[in-house]
Order: sequence, then C-alpha cells, then structure tokens
Amino acid sequence: MFEEASEVLENMLKWSFPLSLVLFLVLVCPLRAEAAHEFSVYRMQQYDLQGQTYGSRNAILNTEARTVDAEVLSRRCVMVRLADFSYEKYQKALRQSAGAVVIILPQNMSTMPQDIVQQFMELEPELLATETIVPVYFALEDEELLSIYTQTQISSSSQGSSSAAEVLLHTATANGFQMVTSGAQSKAVSDWAITSLEGRLTGAGGEDLPTIVLVAHYDSFGVAPWLSYGADSNGSGVAVLLELARLFSRLYSYKRTHAGYNLLFFLSGGGKFNYQGTKRWLEDNLDHTDSSLLQDNVAFVLCLDTLGNSDNLHLHVSKPPKEGSPQHALLRELETVAAHQHPDLKFSMVHKKINLADDTLAWEHERFGIRRLPAFTLSHLESHRSPARHSIMDMRSVSSLEGLSRNTKVIAEALARVIYNLTEKGVGGDLQIFTEQMVQEDQLASLVDWLTAQPRAAQLLDKDSSIVNTLEYYLSRYLKDVKRHLVRADKRDPEFVFYDQLKQTMNAYRVKPAIFDLLLAVCIASYLGVLYLAVQFLLCLYNLFLLLFI
Amino acid sequence: MTLFHFGNCFSLAYFPYFITYKCSGLSEYNAFWRCVQAGATYLFVQLCKMLFLATFFPTWEGGAGVYDFVGEFMKATVDLADLLGLHLVMSRNAGKGEYKIMVAAMGWATAELIMSRCIPLWVGARGIEFDWKYIQMSFDSNISLVHYIAMAAVVWMFTRYDLPKSFRLPVTILLGLCVYKGFLME
Repeated sequence: MFEEASEVLENMLKWSFPLSLVLFLVLVCPLRAEAAHEFSVYRMQQYDLQGQTYGSRNAILNTEARTVDAEVLSRRCVMVRLADFSYEKYQKALRQSAGAVVIILPQNMSTMPQDIVQQFMELEPELLATETIVPVYFALEDEELLSIYTQTQISSSSQGSSSAAEVLLHTATANGFQMVTSGAQSKAVSDWAITSLEGRLTGAGGEDLPTIVLVAHYDSFGVAPWLSYGADSNGSGVAVLLELARLFSRLYSYKRTHAGYNLLFFLSGGGKFNYQGTKRWLEDNLDHTDSSLLQDNVAFVLCLDTLGNSDNLHLHVSKPPKEGSPQHALLRELETVAAHQHPDLKFSMVHKKINLADDTLAWEHERFGIRRLPAFTLSHLESHRSPARHSIMDMRSVSSLEGLSRNTKVIAEALARVIYNLTEKGVGGDLQIFTEQMVQEDQLASLVDWLTAQPRAAQLLDKDSSIVNTLEYYLSRYLKDVKRHLVRADKRDPEFVFYDQLKQTMNAYRVKPAIFDLLLAVCIASYLGVLYLAVQFLLCLYNLFLLLFI
Repeated sequence: MTLFHFGNCFSLAYFPYFITYKCSGLSEYNAFWRCVQAGATYLFVQLCKMLFLATFFPTWEGGAGVYDFVGEFMKATVDLADLLGLHLVMSRNAGKGEYKIMVAAMGWATAELIMSRCIPLWVGARGIEFDWKYIQMSFDSNISLVHYIAMAAVVWMFTRYDLPKSFRLPVTILLGLCVYKGFLME
C-alpha cells in the first residue's frame, strides 16, 4: 500500500508546491488559544528612589497556579486571597522561589472586616521594602476567578494526603490552571515628566507684599500603582486647596476685600516620591530666576496633607514659630478658631526636627524648611509614618465629608484672620467670616469623587493626563498666571526611575498534567487494539459465514 | 494541549480508518487510487450542495429558539445528494459488491475526516487550553466511518434490481433515516 500511496502523493505534490508552502506557513505560525478566563492584573510598585530600588522587579509569568497551602511552591504562581494573606505566607512563598504571587482583592473593599484592612495597610511598606525578582500582582475578584481559586485550592491541598493510588488518579485527572501574562518584561521609563501646577492671587497695594504659599501634592501611593486612589492622602488636601483657591479668589475680586497679601497656590507632583515636584520648583525659583515671589517676603508656607474625616488636626513644624512672626499668627488663629467655632476639633502643634540622615523627608514643609522658608504642614495624622499615607486601601468611602468640610472652614477662617489682621483689629473669635454658603460640602464631595475616580499614582500621570489638564483648567478659572512646571529625572544620576508594565492581562488556561496525556495515549492504544482484534474477529466470522452458506 | 495531545486525538481519529483499510482486504485490490477518487467525488458533491444551499435558501430571520422546520427539512433533503454521490462512485467501480461498498465508504469518510476534522484538531488540540471536545471530535469521526459504511451498503442494496420485494421497505426506511439523521436529532 505504501508504494502506491507514495506514487500518488508524489504526483500530487509536484503540482501542489504552492499549496504546501501555504501549509508550511500555517504550521509555523504561533498559536493563540482561547483561555478559560482572562482578567486584568495590576503589578506591585517598581521604582528606584535616589538609587535605592524598591518593589518587584519582574513582570512576565507563565506558570501553573497553586494556593499558598500547597507543599511545593517553587516555580508556581501562588494565589492568595486578601483574607488569608499574611506576611509569613508571603515570605514562605518567596523562600521556596515561587514563580509569582497573585493577591486577590475583593471587588468591594468595604465588605472586608476592618482588622484585615488595617493589617494589610501595615504590611504594604514591608512588601515594598523587600526587593524581589518575583512578580507580584493584584487582581480584583470576580466569580470566575473565585472558581479558579477554589479549584486550585482543592487540588493543592489534597496533595499531601491519601493513598498512592488516589494521588495517582488525582494527579492524572486534575484540572490545573496555567497563568500567563501577555506583556513584555518591565523596563525603566525614560524621560518621565512629573508635572506641577502653580497659580497666584496678587494682593492689593503695590510692590513688596508678603506672600503666603499654599501647597498640596496631588499624586497618591500604594502597593500597586493602578490601585492607589488616595482618597485621603492626598485627595483631601487637593480638594481643600482648590476650595481655598475658589474662596479667596472671590474675596480678592472685590476691592473692599482685596487683602495685602499675595497668595501662591502650588499643586505638586511626585509628592510621594520624596516631594520631587516641590524640590525642583524651589530650585528653579530660588536659584535660577532673578525675581520670584518665593525669593522676597514669604510670610509662611502652609502644606496640606491628609485632612480627611477625623477629629484631630495637627500642625507639624520643624521649628516652633517665634512670637510675633506670621507663622505664630497663623498658629494662634488656628487655635482660636478651633476653640471658639469648632469645639469638637482637637488642634495641636507637633514639633519634629528635620532629619537629613533619613532616606526620605517626613512632610512636605521640610523641603521648604531646608531652603530656609518658614513652613508647616496641616494634617489629621500624627505621624508621617502612618500607613494611611501609602495604602491602596485609602479609597473613597461612602461616608459624608463632614470632617473635611469642617477642616476646610477652620483653615479658611484662620487664613482670613491672618490676612485681614482681624485679631489685632479686635474681632472676636466667634465671628464666622465664611458662611454656610461659601464652604459647600457638595462642592468638596464632587471634587473628592472626581479625584478618586481614577488612580493618581505618579507613574500614571504624565503631562498630558486628564487629571493634570483638569486641575490646570480649574486653577485657571480662579487664579492668575497658572503655569506648569515639569520635573524630569537627571540623566546621569536620576533621583527617581519609574518602570512600566504596571497593568497586564492575565490569562488562565485550563491544563491537564502531563501524565494525563500518557494515560490517554494508553487508553487510545488499548481501544485501537480492541478494535483491530474485533475487526479481525469479524473478518473470520464473515469468512466462516460465507463458507457455511455458499 | 500540546502536540502530544494532538497526536492522541489524531491517532484516535485516523487509526480505525487505517485498520479498516488493512483488514477489509482492500489493499489486495490496489484500491488506494479509487479511494482517492471517491474522496474527490465527496469534495465535488459538498461543493455542489453548498452552492445550492447558498443560492436557494436565504438565511432564516425568525426569532431565536424557533426552529424552522420547513427550512431545515429542505436543507436536509439536499443531503440526498450525498446518496447520489455514493451511488455514482459505486457505479463507476467495477467489481464485487463488498468491494464497491468499501471503496466508496472509505474514500468518502476519509475525505470527510481530512476536510472537517484536521484543521480544528490542529488549531485547537495544540493550544495550551484543554477541552474534552477534541477527544469527542475524534471519536465522532470513528462513528461517522461506520455510518458511511452502512449508508453505502444501503444505497447499494437499494440499487440492486434482484433484491427481494420484502426487503425493499426496510431498505428505503433505513435510507431515509440516513439522510434525515441530522434533522431528526434536532
């Protein structure tokens, strides 16, 4: 049979060479299969700050899935749910040289109990501090992912128990999952520009007026850049700054209320990366230009950082203000306003010296302090190390913004009293300058809603991003001379380096173990053997039949 | 899943044909070229059927879930062309009855195997994702081999003029069943 077959095929092939070429191309082309499930995953932070590397170094992944209780974790993708996550398990996975870690977060974080959320918030800086080559991803849970997880869990946990035959049968028929990401390896993003925005309201009364600078950084930080919404830190600060801009621009538009202070508003970028925006802005304004508002008479710099819902308000200073200075005036006014108008608010001053030996600066005012400008930071947090400043759990909750609007009122009142010199003029502490209609909670709520609608990590906001453009537009409605200020890392000795591949699509393919293929081959071979024997048998029967009846 | 899995499915699909070819004694008759001719006839008949269906049966615009009995009946009737094709192949081959049946059925079924099963197996069974449907497809091809042999046998019996009258009716019924098998299963 083979000779005639080969002859026929030879004839056919002679005039079907183009066909075989096409066939060859079809055979060689890469394969794309349908996945059991496709979902978005968000990578852990990866950045270099001042030469120090942080976070997960690797992005690609093509490994089998296991849950954390499985025995063998090496070169596997370990899947953990947030509720079961703990630092020991993470360390265990890393020690056994796991291929990757995927942490599954619930869709709605408010369903998680508070202690788990708190525990995770405290773990985040530790996760980032250990530099690892294992890619760490975060995924939001949905039904299919949950079913994949439970199936993996069943197969992982049953590996240690039961008899050999059961284990064999189980490994042969189990449904495994292969996790594959489609992107490339992560690499450093070159020439990333961090944008900062400034705007001013010029005071009335000629030259050489004292300047008050109001600063807030608008970026957010968390263990995964695409999941850091930063509602409180620093969405609240930005909202307060924008509200103050609106209020004071209204006051400054009438001649009678046009005060003798210049107001400079600054929205800095890269705040969570050691205040890069502020640093470069100061350098440019103080070192490289001839005249700038910052060089002359600066009354004080007020930085706003995390002013959310809390009954505490702290004024962080690096040097206690001297009597008679404008800083002292602000401190006094804040105390007065808090005491008389909002007795439920606990206001205090926190003194912390600038420690230049630390890796990163504590608060934004320290940048100004280094350049000898009087500055302080207002925050409801007592310590700069608080985990709430760097967490992905910092999301917009549905609670009302009472605390934020109260803090806005306090700050606005205190500033107004300083600007218009009201205490010296004998105005009592009870007088409310800004009435209910001026500081509106709805306005603040809509600002915070907009800010938390998308992640605001510094790696995701380039100079064309919609957030930066909208902030610029908003500022230009109320302030004059709205300018952008770009910071790019130095080429030779970069202060910060960002990496890409922060959001990927992961495919989960249903796979069978290799033994299954062998088992199947054995089954098919035996089936074919039986078929062959049956046909032979039938042939005998047929011949017998013919012999008998013919 | 892998090339190995593809190999498994392919062998499951193809080996019975191989076995049937060897064991039915066709190799003694140098029937390979005839089988290929039968396969070519299959291709031709399929092409004609497709053209006919495309030209005369517009797509049914009814609601989903409403099974268009009349339309599907008509389409199944076109499968009568299959029977005509088988008859054509058999009439062209001189020789004993069984020889004709086997040649026609083998060629027909092999052509169907290559045309409708090879490409899905190649593309699907080689991927990472595992699905039982490829094994099912391969097994299905075994069943269709038997089905075509039976169909060819019934067609041959139908065309024999020396068939006893009593056999006519069952043969006709069986023939009808063959054609409308797909239709009846819906």
